[in-house]
Amino acid sequence: MDNASHLSVIVDLSPTQWHLSSQSDNTHPLSLKDFLSQLLAFLNMHIASKHENTLAVFGAFPGKSVMLYSSTDPLQHNRTIDANSYPPFRVVDYSVMQHIMEEIDALGEPEDEVPCALVGAVTKALCYINRISHPSTSSNPADNPAVLPDPRMLILSVSPDLSTSYIPIMNSIFSAQKLKVTIDVCKIYGPDTVFLQQAAHLTGGSYIYLERRDALLQYLIMSHLPPPSIRNVLSVPTQDRIDFRAACFCHKDIIDIGFVCSVCLSIFCKPVPVCTTCRTKFPMKTLQRLNASRPPQTLTPVNGSTVANGSAIGTPRSAGTPMAASLR
Amino acid sequence: MPTRTADTTSNAAIESSPHALLPFLQSQSQNTLTRLYQRPSSCLSIFRLLASLERQIVMNLLWLESSIAVATMAAWVHRDHKKLYDSALAILSRLHILPNSAVKLGLNSTFKSSLRQAITGGGTSGSFGVPSQKDDRSSWPDVKTLDGYALERWETILHYMVSSGTGQQPTKPSQDVLYLLQRSQLMTNVRGSALQITSAGFQFLLHSPHAQLWDLLLEYLHMAEERRMDVVEVLSFLFMLSTMELGMEYSTENLSQTQQAMLVDLRDYGLVWQREPSSQRFSPTRLATTLTSSSPPLPTSTGTGAGAQVQGFIVLETNYRIYAYTDNPLQTAVLNLFVSLKYRFPNLVVGSITRESVKKALENGISAEQIISYLTTHAHPQMHKNVCLLHICISQH
Amino acid sequence: MPAKDIDFMDVDSDSDISLPAEETSRSKGKGKGKAVAKPKKTKGKGKANEQAYTWEASYTRSWDTVQEDAGGNLQGAVEDWMARDRRRRLLAPAGAIRRTIIRHLILLLDLSSSMMDRDMRPTRFDLTLQYAREFITEWFDQNPLGQIGVVGMRAGIGERIGEMSGNPQDILRAIADRHKLEPIGEPSLQNAIEMARSTMSHLPTHSSREILIIFGSLTTCDPGNIHDTLDDCVKNRIRISVVALAAEMKICRELCDKTGGQFGVAMNEGHFKDLMFELVPPPAQNTLSRTPGAGAVNPAADLMMMGFPTRLPDTSPPSLCVCHSELKSEGFLCPRCLAKVCDVPTDCDICGLMIVSSPHLARSYHHLFPVKPYEAVTALVDVSDSTSACHACARILPTTQSTSTAAEGISPFGRYRCPDCHNDFCTECDVFVHDVVHCCPGCGK
Repeated sequence: MDNASHLSVIVDLSPTQWHLSSQSDNTHPLSLKDFLSQLLAFLNMHIASKHENTLAVFGAFPGKSVMLYSSTDPLQHNRTIDANSYPPFRVVDYSVMQHIMEEIDALGEPEDEVPCALVGAVTKALCYINRISHPSTSSNPADNPAVLPDPRMLILSVSPDLSTSYIPIMNSIFSAQKLKVTIDVCKIYGPDTVFLQQAAHLTGGSYIYLERRDALLQYLIMSHLPPPSIRNVLSVPTQDRIDFRAACFCHKDIIDIGFVCSVCLSIFCKPVPVCTTCRTKFPMKTLQRLNASRPPQTLTPVNGSTVANGSAIGTPRSAGTPMAASLR
Repeated sequence: MPTRTADTTSNAAIESSPHALLPFLQSQSQNTLTRLYQRPSSCLSIFRLLASLERQIVMNLLWLESSIAVATMAAWVHRDHKKLYDSALAILSRLHILPNSAVKLGLNSTFKSSLRQAITGGGTSGSFGVPSQKDDRSSWPDVKTLDGYALERWETILHYMVSSGTGQQPTKPSQDVLYLLQRSQLMTNVRGSALQITSAGFQFLLHSPHAQLWDLLLEYLHMAEERRMDVVEVLSFLFMLSTMELGMEYSTENLSQTQQAMLVDLRDYGLVWQREPSSQRFSPTRLATTLTSSSPPLPTSTGTGAGAQVQGFIVLETNYRIYAYTDNPLQTAVLNLFVSLKYRFPNLVVGSITRESVKKALENGISAEQIISYLTTHAHPQMHKNVCLLHICISQH
Repeated sequence: MPAKDIDFMDVDSDSDISLPAEETSRSKGKGKGKAVAKPKKTKGKGKANEQAYTWEASYTRSWDTVQEDAGGNLQGAVEDWMARDRRRRLLAPAGAIRRTIIRHLILLLDLSSSMMDRDMRPTRFDLTLQYAREFITEWFDQNPLGQIGVVGMRAGIGERIGEMSGNPQDILRAIADRHKLEPIGEPSLQNAIEMARSTMSHLPTHSSREILIIFGSLTTCDPGNIHDTLDDCVKNRIRISVVALAAEMKICRELCDKTGGQFGVAMNEGHFKDLMFELVPPPAQNTLSRTPGAGAVNPAADLMMMGFPTRLPDTSPPSLCVCHSELKSEGFLCPRCLAKVCDVPTDCDICGLMIVSSPHLARSYHHLFPVKPYEAVTALVDVSDSTSACHACARILPTTQSTSTAAEGISPFGRYRCPDCHNDFCTECDVFVHDVVHCCPGCGK
């Protein structure tokens, strides 16, 4: 029951979002500085829980992802030891802060900020977990920690969803499922991200939207610190209402029934003669057949009201020819 | 080359039950414990000794300024596991970490502030050990030296125990160690002359090194009470050692009188290394720094062998023939307790488990379960399936 | 009672006479098979005149390639070999092949008495069942929109074991009970293929129709002319692949060659598994017009209607599901008829609409947008100090050349570079990124 666990923390360090987050017109402004001090306390608590617990911290900066700390290859810095603190804590704090400082100093002008490389950080974390959970025979056996029973990942997100990263994020989620990595998500600032909600749901993790941002540490401890074995006893909030319906590629509408290109799996809300993604032409016969078999318009209100998630938008759209949609 | 690979199998047994030290702590008075909780390093170490659920409860309450209603906390508990939760609360209250209350839950304020300080750092308690100033004269001891020293000390003790009955004359541990062994009834003074191992001693030998270490230290704590040493001082020194960094040298200046005296004893057990007895500096060994963890306290169990020994070395055939890939006299001697050894090669010992050899072990007070657990923990990775067969054989007796 | 005929059993099939045929047919096979076979083949050819059997070729002096390192250790050489093996798979052309995403597969299991042969441990039958389970799991992982059915050949007839289903649990349950599948009698290829063909005949054209035959017998006992069946299969665009456990039979080879499938004779347990798992990734579409962007009407392309269901939360009031008639609270609602089904993807039992959830679609995307293969770094001249560690897992990359000679596509430094972001990765991450993650950690796409 009491096994060591691995935690990979991914910190979204978008300067713009953190700047917005620290504005005083928020109900609970949270600056990067306050956040980092609470984060470090959380990291220390993870290490404190068990001597064998391992930790890796990744930072997602604009257009770049960096490993900030990993317990298998700690930085060799001058080992000054302070009588008042536990040495491993100091190494973590020092290493994380040092790296963040370096990266923030190296950032360019804020005007041309590119989106955060969250995907890069997540995939790096996956590669790292893969590395430590399958200790390769080629590497030096001395740096192999024990086999990790339950690796976990915690994403601390402040940026909104990036529609271009949908496919990579989904790919990462599936590989996390394969590696049996639980992904926890804590949304610290900004609107809910659907992608990360799905990540948490599909891997059995918990998704928390931080309502009281002054209580960040307490949220982190209560819901993201316990390893899976404890979560059986002390329950952890999970999201139950996640929308798995798809959005069509042409209008980005959420649809109940869609039309999917068999070649590239693009989703359309109505039958189209040509796939806008892969330029495949579809046979006329299919178009006629599908047009005929589409659910009649009268059904829509019934459909919309019965569906539990009230956000259902009826499939039909009055205007807009398919061809116009294809010229996006 | 020492490895830090945690041998999870060997620790499975001790992890399932509460740590051996906790009952001792629970028997202490609230006053003693409160004094102990004043040191951040002690809090951190005790926190680590707790089971994971208890740790989580402490965590949940750690950063709350005011205590919360019992019902609020209970709402988090899954219905099926209420019992686990209740027993966790009971243990915490017996340790005076979480005062028992029917209305409100709140951590002991001393414990809370110390643990907070441990996690955030700062303060002036100096409870994590004051490092000695580095001077040019002598460099810090390297990890290898420390490991070698700890191993040599520890195996001396065990080897002395195991060969006490056989008439061999291995190197004797110091007088204090012998006294401790005798006092803990692991060895008795038979016929007024030589110390003889007892059945408890035999059982002791089959424990994992981690359990052995705590057995001895617990005995040391009891002895300390009798010697009128301050238990708080003793415990906090042990906990301080456990949070120290391997390969560092610490200064003895800030140690109290009691702790200075302990240093001598712990040196005999192999927990602490000193360049010379009068040195103003000391280094903890791996035995000490892994006190509150479950990673193997000894680098490798072989004296001179290569590092490939962490996994386990025993191969047992279904005809009860046993092959032990070891050249360590201690392991051979321990095996000799319940195996009749046949051949001995430079790195291999062959023997077989017979009715007679097991009977001999049972007469020595070793139980069948202990033999099985010893074999399981040290089994070669490729042979876990035969253990059940063995069980049938031994159950016949 | 069908007449028993020993059908074109080619006893000489593994002599050197069949060598040219085998070679050509292999090189026709796409991607993987070719890349794997290549190095072995070149070796074999040099010695072909003194070898009687082709299978010996692949075993030629394999010990020569193993070299001891300075300490007389084989460890390094073996590891190197394994790394190379893993890497070789990635060298398969990763161009813009159109792959069939919607797949339909019938697994044809030989349940004749020859499956009780013990030449594979524990028996051919047990091993087949075990691999079939692994295969099904892996297959659904990579083809979430596909469907599998299981047909058995036993006692001269084809026997439907599992209905075509998109739910791996259903299929696994169908083959879970080994006592129901106890091998007996003679197999009949024709009967079984006919049964599989009729199951798939109604399927739409955009989906693939495949049959995978695990064949342990050397005979088949057919009621009619099996070549007619073969012609029908070709007409219906059914792709037949055979994994033979005993030896090559001419009819099996012909089934595969004519329908564009793969044929293989399992040499041992490991090879058996490899042969099966080669069929897991979606096959490239075998349409003739290969001009992307030209907009030619692709008969295999079609628009499919799919329903995206509403997931009922665990706390919703329990109701009966249409698939098992069990009372449970969680489930999915078909958007068209509002029937409640337990699991997706599936076809709605009431209205027949294909129900998928968006993650299922997303799971197939990586076949369509693969990660570019990394280039092997062969010289360290352009490597700066900052890239001393793997960009993904931070493992320190070696700076010394490994002892063994470098082959094409293998970096002597164990260092592979993304052509887009120019970051270096270690061998393990290279394989992991391409096989599992399908997303480059450097470029994030």
